[in-house]
Amino acid sequence: MIAVEQLTKTYGSRAALDHVSFEVPEREIFGFVGPNGAGKTTTLRILAALLEPSDGRAYIDGADVTKDREKVHAKIGYMPDFFGVYDQLTVGEYLDFYAACYRQPKRRRQKIVDDLLALVGMTERKHQLVDTLSRGLKQRVCLARSLVHDPAVLLLDEPASGLDPRARVEMREILKELQGMGKTIIISSHILPELTELCTMIGIIDHGRMRATGSVRDVIARLSSGRRLRITVIDERDAALEILTPLASVRHAEAVNGAIEAEYDGDERTASDILVALTGAGIRVSSFAPVDGGLEDAFMRATSEDVG
Amino acid sequence: MNAVSRALWNPIVAKEYRTRMRTWRSPFAITLYIVLLGGIAWAIFTALSLTATSQFGGSPTNYGQELFTFLILFQVALLAFITPALTAGSISGERERQTIDLLFVTPIRPFSIIWGKLLASLSFVALLLVISVPIFSLVFLFGGIELDQMVYSFAVTAMTALTLGFIGVAFSTLFRRTLVATVAAYGGAFVLLAGCYLYGFLFPVEADPNATTTPAPPAITLVSPVIPLLTIATNAPVPLYGVRYPNGGYGLAGSSAGGNCSTQPNGVTFCSSTGVKGGSVQQLTAVQPTGGGATISTGLFQGWQYWQASIVMQVMICLVALGFSALVLPPVHRFRLRRRPAPSPVHGS
Repeated sequence: MIAVEQLTKTYGSRAALDHVSFEVPEREIFGFVGPNGAGKTTTLRILAALLEPSDGRAYIDGADVTKDREKVHAKIGYMPDFFGVYDQLTVGEYLDFYAACYRQPKRRRQKIVDDLLALVGMTERKHQLVDTLSRGLKQRVCLARSLVHDPAVLLLDEPASGLDPRARVEMREILKELQGMGKTIIISSHILPELTELCTMIGIIDHGRMRATGSVRDVIARLSSGRRLRITVIDERDAALEILTPLASVRHAEAVNGAIEAEYDGDERTASDILVALTGAGIRVSSFAPVDGGLEDAFMRATSEDVG
Repeated sequence: MNAVSRALWNPIVAKEYRTRMRTWRSPFAITLYIVLLGGIAWAIFTALSLTATSQFGGSPTNYGQELFTFLILFQVALLAFITPALTAGSISGERERQTIDLLFVTPIRPFSIIWGKLLASLSFVALLLVISVPIFSLVFLFGGIELDQMVYSFAVTAMTALTLGFIGVAFSTLFRRTLVATVAAYGGAFVLLAGCYLYGFLFPVEADPNATTTPAPPAITLVSPVIPLLTIATNAPVPLYGVRYPNGGYGLAGSSAGGNCSTQPNGVTFCSSTGVKGGSVQQLTAVQPTGGGATISTGLFQGWQYWQASIVMQVMICLVALGFSALVLPPVHRFRLRRRPAPSPVHGS
């Protein structure tokens, strides 16, 4: 559904995007993760045909974002990270205005507005001035706005930023509902635990380079799972550290909250070798388990080193 | 809805009407406009009456013509203040409010965005012009002004407002900040109205000593509505404007433009020549009224009436401003002046 090939965007000598590539199949929710200034918004703006790439190609359902802008705009619903609303317009009028901009027939617009307000849970706010809404409610209205022409693809730039926990949960539920309606969604966010629950795919971008991309499970497994161990020993923690530290496969070992956490290079066989080394030295190990750092850990690793 | 009606009436127009008329500013602006125009009409009439009473020289015909001249010039000046304020924030305001991207991802074309903004702003100006008609109708109580003069004057005024609107939108498209765009739009209005008018004084046309007709002022002075409006009101060219005569004199010997000239309501110009023949007061070549203003005697628009030339020149400015706006506004341009080479890949991603 969405294909990005070697996308590059330069501003003078600075590369905001450096040959970024990824694909998002139909009906997937792709989480786009990266620190501030990593290139997330630039990528989304190029996909929304609002910015010309310096090089590379991007396609939305086969439409080239640089050549078929009108087709692209018909297929996407775009929600920017920062957006404003008009004064003196009610929520209903605001959505009706954008429905008219998307050339929806006048006789259908009222139903579209009512359906979208029901979807985002704002039916009772239809006659309230949109400028007087809280940020969370404005985010919902903006999401509804991006759906007025029933696009197949949603590009959502930080839709949950600035929302309180309840509003974030509600936004997540709405997005799940949209996925159930068959939408393909790209969502950029800093709130990593929620992306783990929401997204089926993920891309981690840093300094304009895509560090990792794939299914959430694959990326987490590739970047974090099995590379850190939490070891609990009985009474001999210092001795255990003295044994672990010189091992070639162990990068770093330290005492954390009464246990030992050890970073290592290798796979499950390497982990078992570490266990053998401890027990062989007479250390009594009461627990030995890999630490699953989750998306947050994967993100930290991906953005702190060259993953390639 | 076909393409033409879609361009003329797009959702932006309806939205702008709705939001504009819901604020207190619009009725306030309308009220202030009427009060100022009515106030100046009353002040001018009072001043004219006092002058006429004291000098026993006034006639009702003069009242009407002079009242009309002051009113129409004052109306243009008012619109020169109002129109940039209405249009200079139209596009830059969308940028500042961060709503412009939301419009760019809709099927509405940049041209329609510009046109919608213009139409909404200029409709308000048109409303101001319409509600000023009753004040201008006072002129007919005194006579001296025909209906066609009124129509031509309003046409020039409306065209000037349109031009100022196009310039305002062009600056609003060019500059990201409304404040900068507003300052630039007022600068543009000053150049259009006062600058082009003053050009005639600073860089007048050199008159040929052997010529028998007065040359017309430089064509660029017609961009300003001041001279066309004066010619409509008096049915004659403005004496001593935009022309320099040989030997520092004020006029050509025997021509219609010498000395201290004054134009009567019937269109006949009287001049007291200070040129070669100096001293004698004589009625020189009369410029006969041609309905709606005098004819341009020389130059690019020879044979045209001043107001016609002014409208044509302003239409050209509008087209340039519109083309410029439509070219600058889109976030992504269809063509590039130069293509920057992309940096070579550092590594695969």
